[in-house]
Amino acid sequence: MSILTGPMRFHLDGQKELTAHKAVLKLPEPDDLYIPLVNGRAACTPTVKEGDEVKVGQKIGEPSDGFWFVPIFSPVSGTVVGIEKRMTTMLKPGDHLHIRNDHKYSAVRAFKSLDYENASREELLEFVKNAGMAGLGGAGFPTFNKYTKPDGIDLFIINAVECEPYLTADYANSMANPELMREGALALLKLSGAPKGKIAVKEDKKDLIEVLHKQFDGTPIEVAEVEDIYPAGWERTLIYMLTGKRYDRLPAEAGCILNNVSTCIALGNALKNGMPITEKYLTVSGDGVQNPQNVIVPIGTPAAEVVKACGGYVGEDCLLIAGGPMMGRTIPNDQFVVGLANNGLTVLQHREEFSVKCLRCGKCTETCPSGLMPVRINMAEKAKDIDTLKKLSIMDCIECGLCTYICPSKLDVTEGIRRAKRYMTLVK
Amino acid sequence: MKLTFNPSPNYRNEQSTVSIMKDVLLCLLAVDLYAVIYYCAAYGAQYGLRVVLMTLTACVSALLTDVIYYKVLKKDVIKEVKSSFSLITALIIVLISRISTAYYAIVVATVIAIFFGKLVFGGFGQNIFNPAAFGAAIIMGNFAGSYSADFATSATPTMAAKSLGWMITSGEFSSFISSYGGLGRMFLGQYASTIGSPCALLILLCGAYLIWNRDIDWQTPVFYIGTVFVEALIIGLMHGAGIEYALFSVLAGGVIFGGVFMATDPVTTPVSLPGRILWAVGCASLTLIIRDKSNLSDGVLFAILLMNMLTPAIDKLFDGNQIKDADKFKRNVLIGSACSIALTLLVGTSVKSASEKASAVSESETPAETGGAPAASANFGEALPMSYNFNANKASCEIDGTEGDVIRYSCKAKGFGLVTNADGDYQMNEAMVVVNKAEGKVTSMNVITFGETGGVGDAATSDEALAQFEGKGLDDEVNLVTGATFTTRSFASMAQAALKAAAEGE
Repeated sequence: MSILTGPMRFHLDGQKELTAHKAVLKLPEPDDLYIPLVNGRAACTPTVKEGDEVKVGQKIGEPSDGFWFVPIFSPVSGTVVGIEKRMTTMLKPGDHLHIRNDHKYSAVRAFKSLDYENASREELLEFVKNAGMAGLGGAGFPTFNKYTKPDGIDLFIINAVECEPYLTADYANSMANPELMREGALALLKLSGAPKGKIAVKEDKKDLIEVLHKQFDGTPIEVAEVEDIYPAGWERTLIYMLTGKRYDRLPAEAGCILNNVSTCIALGNALKNGMPITEKYLTVSGDGVQNPQNVIVPIGTPAAEVVKACGGYVGEDCLLIAGGPMMGRTIPNDQFVVGLANNGLTVLQHREEFSVKCLRCGKCTETCPSGLMPVRINMAEKAKDIDTLKKLSIMDCIECGLCTYICPSKLDVTEGIRRAKRYMTLVK
Repeated sequence: MKLTFNPSPNYRNEQSTVSIMKDVLLCLLAVDLYAVIYYCAAYGAQYGLRVVLMTLTACVSALLTDVIYYKVLKKDVIKEVKSSFSLITALIIVLISRISTAYYAIVVATVIAIFFGKLVFGGFGQNIFNPAAFGAAIIMGNFAGSYSADFATSATPTMAAKSLGWMITSGEFSSFISSYGGLGRMFLGQYASTIGSPCALLILLCGAYLIWNRDIDWQTPVFYIGTVFVEALIIGLMHGAGIEYALFSVLAGGVIFGGVFMATDPVTTPVSLPGRILWAVGCASLTLIIRDKSNLSDGVLFAILLMNMLTPAIDKLFDGNQIKDADKFKRNVLIGSACSIALTLLVGTSVKSASEKASAVSESETPAETGGAPAASANFGEALPMSYNFNANKASCEIDGTEGDVIRYSCKAKGFGLVTNADGDYQMNEAMVVVNKAEGKVTSMNVITFGETGGVGDAATSDEALAQFEGKGLDDEVNLVTGATFTTRSFASMAQAALKAAAEGE
């Protein structure tokens, strides 16, 4: 932030009160679940076949890639029906393992629990890897990968910011499972080798801050309150807010390692109870759904079931968004399923925007957290001006959506940058 | 029930271009309303009414231009007019015009501003020049004679300052500023200038409101007004003027109005903040250069138009990534600003205050001949026949007294300011002309009222210049006084009128 750059962020109305303080609904488990065989980019080969009986917590998919390594565990007990192609949240068809729920919930211990304090670093890392831990903030990046060679890390950051509007799933999860969060956070702190940690939380979540203080006071992890701005939860913005450092490629360059708070809770659960991630806290919110609330759903539940459990749609024309409204994709079909990295379904009534021509106000440039100039990128893209597009470092765009949000002319600025990115990959 | 696809994000800020333009329009209306009240109170209801009518004229012309254009193009007229925001242009044109501007000039300026300034470029968001500045430049350039004489007001501060070479030293300042009631009254807008620019306080409040609502950024007005202040302060100090001169430079003319309402027009200024800062500094520098060195008394309008032309270049200069190229951007802003400030100060060194001018003149004269009154010395130029057609001067005479053949006439005639309809505090020149009826010659000429610019036209009122009328008849000729030709003609027209009156036996 300086006179020359503008704030590079913006406070937006979080709409969190719609769901934050309502009771969490445990969804009646559906009859049919479809477990995605791909977590982010981590593809798995099923270890069960048609007709097999599976139990809750049983490993049903083995990763085929050593780097993108996230094994899959069954969220319910029942019978494997087969592999089906369904549309994923990436809007592409993908393989899903169809399991018919027997509603018995018979479970197996997926793996042995582990006392992280007495375990060696290697044992702990191996545990994190095999327990299928992945970034639950939305990216689904395999957690162990961050900790294989953590060199010169001096700050471990837990991201409990949840800056995406409407979403309160992390908040609800943290309020419900503070001990597990503490367990997982301290285990990850040990893995990172950092002398201290910070748990970043928005300053307006007073009750959560109190809970965090109770859990972390006396540990090397300090509660850090951050301003209520978007995108405070993005790695670069968060690290800049906490340390004042910018980095080129990876947070490790700034001496930081980050993990989402839900990842910590999942790891805590795995360490204590020996159970993998089989269900998710999910925020179902927006003006397009009857009863906005947080729900706990098993992985593999179709979105249609979740919306139905929350009272169904409101209005005749809705946008169904996997995630929050800023970065989440709209999916024109509610048959996709809740995956590992989903933490919300936002349902908004669709309204046409009255858009006028760009008035070159530069608000997109002032708020862009990556320091880009969306208006110039859009102009250069329209003119197909390759030299200018190269100068404008468009590949730094993370598509956070702030430029479209802020645009007073109601233009699809972010979409223009995506077009520019596609164009530049074509001409390169 | 239907699920629609729409690329992310699907969340929008409440602020819209329509709401931004509404806020700006509201502020402009407040300034306009202030003008109506001020003119009613200070000059009478017909002046206030004139502001209202001028506003209506401009607004109707702007809307009609839009409607006709989009009708001809067979577009959805209501939608296009709604997103054309022409009322803002119309209001700005009124507010930067003087009260005496003719209605037809307002119509022409508005239509040209909207049509040539905006619509032919592709409508809102596509225009290169600030449409209002574009339209107003047309009035200034081509309709200088269109002022309605019935609504003459006193000289604007910029006109008065221009006649002094835009340099008022500390010694001269208090007598100069007293005609505007002091800097405090200028800040409150208690004087006549262009319709919208006087009330600095109100305009600054509007600016604060717009910044608070995030309708405009704070950088442009602050850097624009700030640079004018700092540069004027330094130039003033070079010539023995104090901080009050810098304050006057900011308050006079369109600096504050332009800084808040015109330099912040996003369409015609750079998109990036470093670009806007450099633009504002450059615009402020040009404002002062134009004031100091051109024929125009104020430079705001043309500075904005000139900088509008540089907007694409400045935008290109700041293409890049704000984080990765931060040092480059900082360097560009610093170098660019330093250059434009240095240039302005360099130009500022050659500015001369009235007293500096006077001493320069007296040094160049031979002390033996002109001794005391340098400003009233006359250099004669080309010949002026007494039978010249002086219609423009509208000279009139009344008999003041008669002694035999010698008749004393009290005469009046228009001088430079009123003949050319220049902005300023001009009055009719008045003189006592004594004519010998029998000889048909002027016996003597004495000035009663000199209604022209002090220090310039008064060369024609020197004893030497008036003496040349003595003994002249209608067939004779006198010589124009160099630098005061209009004033010479004004006095010659009175002599002619008196001679004619005497010949007709009145």
